[in-house]
Amino acid sequence: MDPDIPLWLMVIVLAVVIPVLAGLLKGVLKAATSIPPKIDAIAGVAAAASKDLDAVVILLTTQNYISQITGSVLNYGGSLNVALPDY
Amino acid sequence: MKIQVAIILLEVVLIVLALAVYLIATIIQLFKINAGLDVVLPAVGEIVAKTAPINGVLDAIVKNLVTARDALEGLHLKKAGADAAGLVESVFPGEGANFLRRVGRSGKVVNVGTVYTRGVGILASLGRGAPIGAAHTKGPAVRDPKYSTTAASMLYPRPGGARSRPKSPVVGREVAHSPYEEALTPGERPRDATGRHVEAAPPAAPGGQADGGDRPPAAGPAPPPPPTANRITSAKGTRPWER
Repeated sequence: MDPDIPLWLMVIVLAVVIPVLAGLLKGVLKAATSIPPKIDAIAGVAAAASKDLDAVVILLTTQNYISQITGSVLNYGGSLNVALPDY
Repeated sequence: MKIQVAIILLEVVLIVLALAVYLIATIIQLFKINAGLDVVLPAVGEIVAKTAPINGVLDAIVKNLVTARDALEGLHLKKAGADAAGLVESVFPGEGANFLRRVGRSGKVVNVGTVYTRGVGILASLGRGAPIGAAHTKGPAVRDPKYSTTAASMLYPRPGGARSRPKSPVVGREVAHSPYEEALTPGERPRDATGRHVEAAPPAAPGGQADGGDRPPAAGPAPPPPPTANRITSAKGTRPWER
């Protein structure tokens, strides 16, 4: 057996491994590169959403109004109960 | 050195070089991602903090609205009775069954709008004696979908049929179109213009006036004779206001 055969085999294996390894690393780099723009977009949306939610405080006022309206409606229903005959 | 060893060394160097280049670039991108997340996370925390009380507020609002709805539905059921679900169904199609389920009743929902016309329902609600019981609620619909107006008219009794109309009177020929009321004592005048009682008139002299009953017996000076056509000498008449 020729003693150079293992060396040639090593050369061939490394020659195959190099492009495969380069492709994989390129894919990882491409995926990592695509993340920062999306994070920037999310940051903008999150800031806008946080600003929009400033109006949530008005819900407390709405709650008070609805409570008052409910009381008025119930009073009105009580009056109707007295004014209208039963079935 | 053999040529094979030299090639192997070259390939190993290329591999290490590729690893170094790509991994360094990836590390740089990861640092950018980390910086971006540092910006995003506080904004997300604000969103979470601002939305935290929403659940409680909305629960309170829903509780109030449900209370009002239950009270009004109970009132509606109390006042409308068996037609309550049908009334709800006529206004909000599909809600009649939900209404029955909420008030704990069961049965078939008959849409009131397909049984009675709107006018009939209003009259019935106003207590005008509409024949709301003309048909049973479990029976077929009273209103004909093709001739709905006629079907609604058939609910009310009308001589001559649903589409009969009274004939138009002829103006000037019928008593109904006379401009004067019918006298209670025709030919007599129990009171004069001042409201005093008038004594009974003497019997009319032969050849006298035929309308003797409407003139007081003790009349003053005799009225001037009526003008005749051949005595007209002026455009003015002989009546007092024309002199």
